[in-house]
Amino acid sequence: MSKLGIFDLSVRYGKLTAVNNISFTVAEGERVFISGPNGAGKSSLLAAIAGEVRAAHGRIEMDGDILSGRVPEAIARRGLSMVPEGRRIFRALSVQENLMVGVGLRRDKTAVPDDLEAIYAAFPILGTRRHANAGALSGGQQQMLAIGRALMTNPKLMLVDEPSLGLAPRVVDEVYDRLCSLQAQRGLTLVIVEQSSARAGRVGGRMLLLRGGQIVADGDAASFAADDLLKEAYFGKAAP
Amino acid sequence: MTEHQARKLASLTTPLLLIALLTAFVLLIDAFGDRSLGRMAAETLIRVTLVVGFWIFAGNSGVISFGHAAFACVGAYVSAWMTLKPAMKSLLLPGLPDWVAQAEWHVLPAAVVAGVMAALLALATGAAILRLSGIAASIATFAFLAMVNTIWANWTPVTGGTSSVVGLARYVTPWVGLGWASVAIVVAAIYGASASGLALRATREDEVAASASGIDRYRHRLAAFTVSAFFCGVGGALMGHLIGVINPDGFYLSLTFLMLAMLVVGGIGSLSGAVVGVLVVSIAVEGLVRLEKGVTLGATQFALPAGSQEILIGLAMIFVLIFRSAGLLAGRDLILPAAWVAGRAKTTK
Repeated sequence: MSKLGIFDLSVRYGKLTAVNNISFTVAEGERVFISGPNGAGKSSLLAAIAGEVRAAHGRIEMDGDILSGRVPEAIARRGLSMVPEGRRIFRALSVQENLMVGVGLRRDKTAVPDDLEAIYAAFPILGTRRHANAGALSGGQQQMLAIGRALMTNPKLMLVDEPSLGLAPRVVDEVYDRLCSLQAQRGLTLVIVEQSSARAGRVGGRMLLLRGGQIVADGDAASFAADDLLKEAYFGKAAP
Repeated sequence: MTEHQARKLASLTTPLLLIALLTAFVLLIDAFGDRSLGRMAAETLIRVTLVVGFWIFAGNSGVISFGHAAFACVGAYVSAWMTLKPAMKSLLLPGLPDWVAQAEWHVLPAAVVAGVMAALLALATGAAILRLSGIAASIATFAFLAMVNTIWANWTPVTGGTSSVVGLARYVTPWVGLGWASVAIVVAAIYGASASGLALRATREDEVAASASGIDRYRHRLAAFTVSAFFCGVGGALMGHLIGVINPDGFYLSLTFLMLAMLVVGGIGSLSGAVVGVLVVSIAVEGLVRLEKGVTLGATQFALPAGSQEILIGLAMIFVLIFRSAGLLAGRDLILPAAWVAGRAKTTK
């Protein structure tokens, strides 16, 4: 059974169709990049999976459980965690409070202190600044905090929306390094929206290319870079 | 002791420091003040109970409520119903059910029941109001305040309508006020440190990210609203028993404005802000009222024109909003330094 299954999913905002009849499945432990130009429907797809927008049509399953139609907090409780676009950390709360927010929904409360230390081990800067206001962190640190916050709910499946947004390339490298090693440690399934397909190719994994709300290509991210498909997705087919 | 433990311990000192501050205030007035200052101290401590109750909801959720004066109103009348002499009630409030009309409770259980009734009302109305978000919820609380006021002003057989209910036992001294204010502060600190308090502050910062972290905003808001209303109900009961007279309009717009002003001046972001705001505004109002009555400096008599107190408080609020928009304490709490707490703990070992 696949970890995540999307079947004939459509998302509409009024008359505008953002996601148009998409189907794909994600296997346990897989890393899937969703790439494509602006307005391709990447973030809408993620928002629909996390329950933030209601699907107009179709079905979303996780471990065979139907997620579509549930509210975000109920979906989070099932072990799906979202790192939202633009980080959206709780700025007036301390770093540690940010990490503890998601803990309320866990049943295994005794494991919380160990998990907290594990996050601090993975992101040492968060450990040293644990009592600082989260709003005082740099962009890269905030991104790490947002990832740490999502991990504290002990998810099986994590959605990451544009982790590279507004960060220096060197910082983006660091964020992806950490994400990949955390995935290896925990056997996480990752679905990442990444605008830069070149970046996705370097990090490695499977890539879905979206355009106009539909999947135009699905394959190994590294082999995409050379492929004409990419140019087509961004700029449209060349005139014959 | 690790730095982290020391900090945790230090944060526990906040409610103790606040209670110590209020105790010092009462002792000072007890030692040097006259009777009218004593009454002002009692009133201030009742306001601490009200505003700290108010803060439990507004401070943690970030939703400004205009409805909390209504909880004070309900609390004041419940306490009056339970404690007034039956003869008085048959005269003033003929519409009360028999068992209430015959009741002549001790004031303490009456204050507790006043709080519980306010909390139950909050639970029922909050279940509808708190599903709204942002400004819509605030406006709904205002509508609730207006409804309660209208019902109280017109339900004459039970509430006495717009005419005042008189003859309440005047048992509230500064020490009684201090007792309830301390309970409110301790409960507010416990709630703030709880998982529910943290979850609610997360929704205040970012609703979407909070729901993505599995937080059910509505449930935590409702919990805070209910606890919050309990202390406003108790505060209302105490107000009635301070003056001995209650009237629906005593728990309407001016009380709502006063509670908001105190919270804004002190800073809505922290429990200490709520307490300090009440102290500062109450002391300023008392000082201005005395100036209005006139003071003699040597040979010259000096008095502010009547009504200048309201204007000056309004001005002070505007200045705080301009120059220190997060309030005097700007979201910080009074706290003993972590290093000092750690040092203490070591030496006592």
